[in-house]
Amino acid sequence: MQPLAVARRDALECSAHQIQIWADVLAQAVTGELIGAMNYNTLAQLYQDPAEHAEALEHAQGETGHAASFTAAAKALGIEVATNLEAQYWKRIRASFLARAHAGDLIGCILAQEVMLESFAVASYRVVAKAAPGELGATFARIAAEEDEHVAHAIQMLQGERARDPRGFDAKVHEVHEAIMTTLAQMISPKNRDCGCGLCAGTCVKSSLPQVGVSLSEIRGASLQRYLRTLDEIGVPGESSLVWVAQLPV
Amino acid sequence: MLDFALITHFETWDRAAAAVSLLRGPDRPPLSIEDVRDILPWIPPRVSSRVTVGSSEGHRVHGVCIESFIPPGRLDRRFLRENLARVRDAAQVAIREGARIVTLGGFSSILIEGKTDLLPSHPGTAFTTGNTLTVALIVRGIERALALAGRDLAESSVLIVGASGDVGSGCARCLAPRVKRLFLSARNPDRLRKLAAEFPSPGNSVVWASSAEPAKSSEASRASAKPLSTNQSSLVPASSLETTRLSPQADLVICVASLPASDVLLGSLFQGDALSQGDALSQGAIICDAGYPRNLSPHFVPRNGAIFYGGLGRASGGIKLDPDLLGIIYPYSLSNIAHGCLLEGILLAMEQRFEPFSQGRGLITPQRVEEIWRIAQKHGIGLAPLLNREGPAEASITRLA
Repeated sequence: MQPLAVARRDALECSAHQIQIWADVLAQAVTGELIGAMNYNTLAQLYQDPAEHAEALEHAQGETGHAASFTAAAKALGIEVATNLEAQYWKRIRASFLARAHAGDLIGCILAQEVMLESFAVASYRVVAKAAPGELGATFARIAAEEDEHVAHAIQMLQGERARDPRGFDAKVHEVHEAIMTTLAQMISPKNRDCGCGLCAGTCVKSSLPQVGVSLSEIRGASLQRYLRTLDEIGVPGESSLVWVAQLPV
Repeated sequence: MLDFALITHFETWDRAAAAVSLLRGPDRPPLSIEDVRDILPWIPPRVSSRVTVGSSEGHRVHGVCIESFIPPGRLDRRFLRENLARVRDAAQVAIREGARIVTLGGFSSILIEGKTDLLPSHPGTAFTTGNTLTVALIVRGIERALALAGRDLAESSVLIVGASGDVGSGCARCLAPRVKRLFLSARNPDRLRKLAAEFPSPGNSVVWASSAEPAKSSEASRASAKPLSTNQSSLVPASSLETTRLSPQADLVICVASLPASDVLLGSLFQGDALSQGDALSQGAIICDAGYPRNLSPHFVPRNGAIFYGGLGRASGGIKLDPDLLGIIYPYSLSNIAHGCLLEGILLAMEQRFEPFSQGRGLITPQRVEEIWRIAQKHGIGLAPLLNREGPAEASITRLA
């Protein structure tokens, strides 16, 4: 933990406008973590295996803890973080997840949360960590590493699942991809400048990110790369995932 | 198991954008080059299409294209480390796919340059640079171009730009005994000196120039070589100056340098002042651009000369790609065209010779070139009609006659 005096000095180096940009970035991160916590709680109900059930609940607590860590790191910099679980894209992602959960689709839910959303979190947090001031940067880096463990957990489980029915499994990945990855792609599209995500305090934060040293292009690229590598590790053919990614909105 | 894998990369951003648009399908708007520039460098190497090629002997071989996603703007030695990582990842994909022979297409073989220990190893997978068939097709292309222009190879003066590399040195060994004069140009003086020493034939002359030294004759042919002026300042990049001094004396120029677009050679030999003054190339010169990516600027038009792309072959048994990216890589009205490097891997698969036929160590000999050419003919792979940026190039070469 960084001494408070150092953290405050970092904050002082940020202009009011930069503080607002970080507040908007954190609003996305905290809302995403809270949606993740809800998803893991839902996922726990789908597991028959008590150990997996307990692990999903643990992951849910972890996501809530991440939201709290972000909020605390922000507070140390004098940043107030807003959250909005009704925010357009996150709400749509949660609805897609719930539809799968209600259909008892455990694998679809794991793909949505632990492969797609967590890959996005790991990659984007690492990009943001490089630019975030003081303890906030360290918090993003630490949480990225923890989210990485969730992805690794999913890879191991899904490799076996795919081996049982490769064609059926790949069709399911594509279906979940269409819902979740399309929504994420729209959310972070640089062309979608007035996206009305429901989280930014003022105008859309995306065009302001360079002012705090964050590249939206790098967030998009690194997230896609992490996602593709995860699918590769699970065993999804690269030629299929290439076409899916090529078809995403930009 | 797969018969072969071809490690590929896009030559230009517009071709990369066209490929992405093809993958997006007709119902989605095509992406701009800017959109593709933003995303493509992040994509890890992966299979881009399934390939089937027919032999004229009746059988077919099956393989994959593995796109390395080396960004077209980074086909340059400055990005050595990241590009090597991409080639290694692509090689790993080939091994995972179970390919028995893998061709390091285009720039990827230049990156490896004989250091195959940089690639992941697997007992069931062999790697070839494909450069021996490339040399065979360049030499056949030159023979064809000279025939169209009504010229005799034995009376020709040939300049090889990039002569110390694997393809350039292979071309030099094939052509040295057959031409009137051979001019060799490259950046590495030691390698060039070593290569020039291989040609002691008194019947012709070999003149070489590197980036570090002015043009020199090889010892054995000094008597027959005309002296070249050497009064340029040594502080000026000599590769272009020396090559510029050699090029007006050549009636045939082979570019295999695989230079970055910003290199002095492109800047001053073929695009800059020397050319506009009309003294960089001889009247009626034929230029064989055998680089991938191309060495010559697309805007370069030689005055009173002609260009063709060297190293292209054609498979009479057909080449099928799914999805069909072939028309994007080779945007010609002719079908079944591919680069020699890619075709070499396919040929070795047809011949069931899963071996590192070309290792990228400057060891390409006329004997090996003839060997791969015999295999090519056996399976119906031959020289493609001569092409350039405009498409068919043969009419423009015939006009030189």
